Amino acid sequence: MDALRFIGKRLLLMIPILIGISILTFAISNTIPGDPARLILGPKATPDGLEALREDMGLNDPLYVQYGRYMSGIGQGDLGKSTYSQRPVVDDLLRYSPATIELTMFAMFITLIIGVPFGVISASRKDRIADQFTRIFALIGVAMPAFWLGLLLLLFFYLKLGVLPGSGRLDGGMSPPEYVTGMYTVDALLAGNWSVFYSAFMHLILPGITLAAVTVGMITRMTRSSMLTVLQSDYIRTAFAKGAPENRVLYGHALRNGIMPVITLLGMAFGHALGGSILVEAVFSWPGLGQYAVNAINYLDFPAVMGVTMLIAVMFIIVNLIVDTLYFFIDPRLKHS
Amino acid sequence: MLLEVKHMSLSLKRAGKYSKILDDISFYIEQGETLGIVGESGCGKSMTALSLMQLLPEKARLEGDVVLQQKNISKVSKRKLEKIRGNQMSMIFQDPLTSLNPLQTVGVQVEESLILHTKKNKKERRERVLQLLNAVGLPRAEELIDEYPHQLSGGMRQRIMIAIAMACEPQLLICDEPTTALDVTVQAQILELMNEIKRETEMGIVMITHDMGVVAEVCDRVIVMYAGKIVEEAPVIELFGNPKHPYTQGLLASIPKLGRRKEKLGSIPGTVPTPGSMPTGCRFADRCPHVMEICRSVTPEMIQIQKSHQTACWLYDEKEGNENATTRSHELEAALHN
Amino acid sequence: MPLLEVTNLKQHFTTKKGFAGNKTVVKAVDGVSLTIEEGKTLGIVGESGCGKSSLGRSILRLVEPTEGSIKFKGKEIVGVSAKEMKELRKEMQIVFQDPYASLNPRRTVRQILEAPLIIHNIGNKIERKELIEDLSGKIGLRKEQLSNYPHEFSGGQRQRIGIARAMALNPKLIIADEPVSALDVSVQSQVLNLMLDLQQERNLSYMFISHDLSVVQHISDKVAVMYLGKVVEIADVAKVYDTPIHPYTRALLSALPVPDPTHVKNRVILEGDLPSPSNPPTGCTFHTRCPMATKECREIIPPLEEKESGHFAACIHV
Repeated sequence: MDALRFIGKRLLLMIPILIGISILTFAISNTIPGDPARLILGPKATPDGLEALREDMGLNDPLYVQYGRYMSGIGQGDLGKSTYSQRPVVDDLLRYSPATIELTMFAMFITLIIGVPFGVISASRKDRIADQFTRIFALIGVAMPAFWLGLLLLLFFYLKLGVLPGSGRLDGGMSPPEYVTGMYTVDALLAGNWSVFYSAFMHLILPGITLAAVTVGMITRMTRSSMLTVLQSDYIRTAFAKGAPENRVLYGHALRNGIMPVITLLGMAFGHALGGSILVEAVFSWPGLGQYAVNAINYLDFPAVMGVTMLIAVMFIIVNLIVDTLYFFIDPRLKHS
Repeated sequence: MLLEVKHMSLSLKRAGKYSKILDDISFYIEQGETLGIVGESGCGKSMTALSLMQLLPEKARLEGDVVLQQKNISKVSKRKLEKIRGNQMSMIFQDPLTSLNPLQTVGVQVEESLILHTKKNKKERRERVLQLLNAVGLPRAEELIDEYPHQLSGGMRQRIMIAIAMACEPQLLICDEPTTALDVTVQAQILELMNEIKRETEMGIVMITHDMGVVAEVCDRVIVMYAGKIVEEAPVIELFGNPKHPYTQGLLASIPKLGRRKEKLGSIPGTVPTPGSMPTGCRFADRCPHVMEICRSVTPEMIQIQKSHQTACWLYDEKEGNENATTRSHELEAALHN
Repeated sequence: MPLLEVTNLKQHFTTKKGFAGNKTVVKAVDGVSLTIEEGKTLGIVGESGCGKSSLGRSILRLVEPTEGSIKFKGKEIVGVSAKEMKELRKEMQIVFQDPYASLNPRRTVRQILEAPLIIHNIGNKIERKELIEDLSGKIGLRKEQLSNYPHEFSGGQRQRIGIARAMALNPKLIIADEPVSALDVSVQSQVLNLMLDLQQERNLSYMFISHDLSVVQHISDKVAVMYLGKVVEIADVAKVYDTPIHPYTRALLSALPVPDPTHVKNRVILEGDLPSPSNPPTGCTFHTRCPMATKECREIIPPLEEKESGHFAACIHV
């Protein structure tokens, strides 16, 4: 099984990448001036108290000892304790990350269902009005800063029209569905609770669009240029020569070939959206990883910063692994070479 | 008459303005006949093929009539054209690797024409695909239908292309340099297959090629094109034995022939004029060893100089069927004495 | 002493394939021996994947040969230093297939032709100018055209410029890799004529690599037929073309479409396609397609032997 061997190889390759990332983040967060102990105890702390806390937190040990301790913790599924929330970082990540993952996935969904068809239409109507329109639309998406677009959407749909909620994940007074994945829409569906699902879904729309604006632009442009290349190819001419109508050629022959580079970009777009979620979460008071990360940085909460970074790195790597594996199934040339 | 092309001209938009690629092309094909269209790069032979199939780029202007079995296909709707392509007429291209969809299996690609043009059910289609693959000389058809183009060799891919083209038993098959991308030994196999198809069907074949060897092997009648115009038309034996147009003569003289070594080859000085900067009068005038004054001002018309032998050249005279330039008649006399 | 003597030359490439990255060795050139005499042309003919291009590049050490010896004017050139090789390259030049890709589009023809002279420190400015103008006259360019750029020329003219560049250093040997394959026949004949003229005038030697049997026949004194990295037949051109020995040569020659509709065809059609060079058949690599193949052919690698005087072939059945 070539595919399994390939996946196995890539999974093994994750280990050195993650070690590299952990060393880097560890080094950077420890060179930031500031004393976590002082931040915890506040201005009235006594030198003795500070010293005792530092000793207790292991801050007095040499860096490599601290790092070794951290890594051995990871080995046991322990990412340390958040100095700010006083909870294990793992618990915090489990609490906050589903919101972010839900939002990012939703944005990716929007990206796919808008970006790809727009790109296809744009390519098949090259230089005509539909093409010009989509290209301008894509350009705006790429160029518009996320926080600005978010504010505009809030102003219009929430304040002016009042058709969509403006902040949080659920309507006030509604209690979250039973925790399974932590993603409210999914959990609500699993529980069969339609009103919660509806509310969670409505709350996703505005932040989702804001987050997706850039990636929709990216994907539309990539789909367009990739489809234009494919439409020039000889096998498309063959399909026409067989007497296939335009739509059959477009969707039956061209799209599957043209989608390949789009999938690669989608993996990168996912990373982009994860990063972008920090801003968007702030605009929409979305209680996700972004908010958690901002707090962690403000309070010099090193274990939390480390945890968030590692989690995002892992997600990014996994998404790209999925992308590469998809290639394997779409392109038979990779299977047999 | 299977196909008749009347006064076909093609203009393509390049750098903002239209330039004429084909200029007043007329020819015909009978059932069961193989017509060669020969010429060097830029002469418009491939564009002629694509014009017949109406497979032109978007900004192309095609004038004149293409009449296939009494039906003027240059005037029908897109929908009707789709019913004709791949059904009544089909096409084989030069590069079999890029002409096949890399992501579809052989079976799916051969089957597509059947889905588009026949009412056969799934089982019947599969049978027909297997039968087609056998007919084009592909072994182990049963396994082959589940394989992808990249798993096959160049010769096999071209056989698949032929199977696709033959799927609906078209009346007209257009081949655009079908063996140019192949090795000599594989080319021989494909030419053999083409000759077999010729014997077994009543198809008309248009064979577009730059290779005079291929022309001699498979064609019955030949059209020679130069710079977007037809300059000579004759049955194949007549053309090779008695070429009339100076371009055809030059072309034949420049081919290295087996058995003659280290001799000076004939060559045609200069280069083909480009669309947009076509000279007035005869387009070959600048490179012609027999150029006369009239050649540079008036375009020669195709004239009948012998039964079924036509050429567009001022050296010849229609009524007599003889060369009208005095220098040429001297040469002729000298030849008669020998 | 021959000008060039190649003995048991091997050129193997290692490639990684697929996701798993399995290593495969492609024996592009697998033990080729041949000689080229001064003032003569050796034609190398074969189908795709036979290693003819790799052979040319290997001889010029554009790729480092895996094994074997290359003697130029009696001197071994495998393993000599880069400095010595630079000197040797003055006398051994290459002409490539694609006249569009092998000329720098941002240089004028004069600059293109002058570059090798400058690199090898030949003449002063005035002498170089004379040399270049002399050369351009040979290839049929007017003096004014020397300040034009490659894109302003046709394919045939560009190939002639490529030949002029190779000629600039007055080499003894030119390796021409499919020099006319990208050209139309009428233009191809111009280039062939030019090559024949230059050969006569300067007593040049050519190694003429091509897949086109009639072109090779036209220009060569001696011909080597290659199949999957090996020479299967080598002899004077008349012997190879008129009385071919090896079954592959025979099939190849009979496969060639003859531009004469009255020609009676007596064709040997080979079965199947060329095997992949990365996975060649055992024994005689031609046995999978050979009409004469027997059981032994699958096991015995046939040596290149002198079957008749001066006529070498690698087949155990002839």
